[in-house]
Amino acid sequence: MLTALREVQIPVLAVMLLGGCAAKAWRALHARSAAAGMDPTGLVPLHLRRPAVVMLFLAEALLGLGLIGTAGRLGDAAPHLAATIVRTATALFFLIAVGALNELRQRRPDAGCGCFGELSDTPIGLRTIARSGVLCASALVTIGLPPLRMPSSSTEAEMCLAVLAVELALVGFLSPELGDILVRLGYTEPCELQRIPVGRTLSVLRASSPWRRYASQVSTAEPADVWREGCWRFVVYPGVVSGRRVDIVFAVYLQARRPAVRVAVLDAATDEILGLAGARPSAVL
Amino acid sequence: MQNLADIPRWCEDVTDSASPARFARRSLLRAAVLGRADETRAPVTTTTDGDTGAAERSLLYTVTGRILDVSPHVLVLLTGRGEQRFALAASATAWRGGPVSPAALRPGDYAVLRRSLPGGPVVERIWAGVGRVTGTIIERDGPASLLVDEGPAKGRRIVMIAPEASGRIQVRFPRLEPGYLIDVIGLKRDGFLQALIPATAQPPYRAGHQPAAPMVSGHIPDPVSGTVVWHEPGEEPHNLLGLAYPALDPETSCEHGSYLPSSFSGDLYAVDPHATGPGCVRLPYLSVGSLLRLRNDCSERTRLLPVTSCGATARLFCDRCVTCGTSPRGRIADLTMAAFVELGGALEAGCFNATMMIGG
Repeated sequence: MLTALREVQIPVLAVMLLGGCAAKAWRALHARSAAAGMDPTGLVPLHLRRPAVVMLFLAEALLGLGLIGTAGRLGDAAPHLAATIVRTATALFFLIAVGALNELRQRRPDAGCGCFGELSDTPIGLRTIARSGVLCASALVTIGLPPLRMPSSSTEAEMCLAVLAVELALVGFLSPELGDILVRLGYTEPCELQRIPVGRTLSVLRASSPWRRYASQVSTAEPADVWREGCWRFVVYPGVVSGRRVDIVFAVYLQARRPAVRVAVLDAATDEILGLAGARPSAVL
Repeated sequence: MQNLADIPRWCEDVTDSASPARFARRSLLRAAVLGRADETRAPVTTTTDGDTGAAERSLLYTVTGRILDVSPHVLVLLTGRGEQRFALAASATAWRGGPVSPAALRPGDYAVLRRSLPGGPVVERIWAGVGRVTGTIIERDGPASLLVDEGPAKGRRIVMIAPEASGRIQVRFPRLEPGYLIDVIGLKRDGFLQALIPATAQPPYRAGHQPAAPMVSGHIPDPVSGTVVWHEPGEEPHNLLGLAYPALDPETSCEHGSYLPSSFSGDLYAVDPHATGPGCVRLPYLSVGSLLRLRNDCSERTRLLPVTSCGATARLFCDRCVTCGTSPRGRIADLTMAAFVELGGALEAGCFNATMMIGG
């Protein structure tokens, strides 16, 4: 029982560290700035915050990979030494996290811990601090553990699974991010708030019947103007119809399934409407 | 940084627009393709003062220009149409750092006037030399001098807090430190703004750390109510009737990402509002040239206004206007000075509550 409890900690700790690392990277990439993950580094002077974010990211990645790399019999030369160093460093990492989170909670009660990127915007509470404490204890009990092996019997496997389930339930209870994840899983932003690349809109347009109808009259490969209003994106191409210079205006409704595409042809000089086509859905702006 | 060659030609570089007619034509094209023929062309560049025709979209109440001469009953202004004379109503009031008599205004000052009647010759309100700085404090030099970053488009401004206004401003802005937000109104001087009035109460969070907007269930309500503020013209025409919108489509409005790396220490505190999320108010993505019908809930005046620039700095502020009741949500639009006055706003108040109908 005790051995199963100790063995389960390695994958749990590795998943938590690599998950936190990936979530921070996702946030930084999404915001196109490493500064986006600065909440947990609010304790250090401003000029050190960017390096602190990078160090935190690297520490999590190295410890997570180190735990996996030293868990088995890989590198038999000095397996105990490498594993002990990584596991002690992991325990130290979470011990520092307990202190830092407690300090941050007192200094900046409105700030989230940023442990899992944008999922961790909830102000730091006792649960978040307790989670780091539990993970610190988890890392401590793995020190001195022999290399991991597959369970030798079904009873042993069931025991491992039961311990894992209890541990995950405990970590889940201590994670305010879990509620956010469940809410986000069932949430889709309305079309007027979704960031949709122009390239995707042009692909949808070129697969539509209004485009096929007017493609031969379009005179340039690149649109002359592209803009967006709510759920509609408008694309204007210059063209020639019966010897007249025209503007062919396409409106593409920004939804994933069966988007409506409409088109109007206007005289380029007089703005007279020469033709209209396309579906007319009862769509929001 | 984007390479110039990578920027498509339809990109809305609103800070350096060489083809405003393209933006103005968008409402016409939109109306044509969506079958809303009631919409017509909107002026995005300049408007004429008191012109007949296109009255819905031109300045009716507001005149902007430089004061040439002023007497107790007549004010002479140099506007875009040349020298114009305006009669001062007996009840006319003026603002130049504070309430003053119209006769106390100085020739040479840049002024914004509001007429008593649309297109009429009589003036009821005058603001002279008024300026505003809204952004992130990036450097403090002594107790009264601040360097403020107004975002990538507007750049940086120096703010000097006048000694007589220091207490009044510090009550509303207790943290005049790098990294915190500031929004002050005052008198424009050579190279700096002399801050006299706090335009809002300072948000308690550091710039860029505003609370996340609530998730939206269904579509964004239309119309939407909230706070409307104003900004200085900068490189825009002084009599521009339009607004800076906080949620321009990031795919076509050429948000060029974060600042260039620099050794200047203040850059550590500068915040690119485009990189801080959608802000406290979720608004649908629009573009330059989109038309919005805006109603001042305090004066009950309504105008159709085109989006003329990017107002992403408004996303940093999660504040409420309390000019006539508390606004139901934060900043939804940042008007040009002319548009703000045209809708009945008082520049020294800084904001009014408004209802915005998207799509006109």
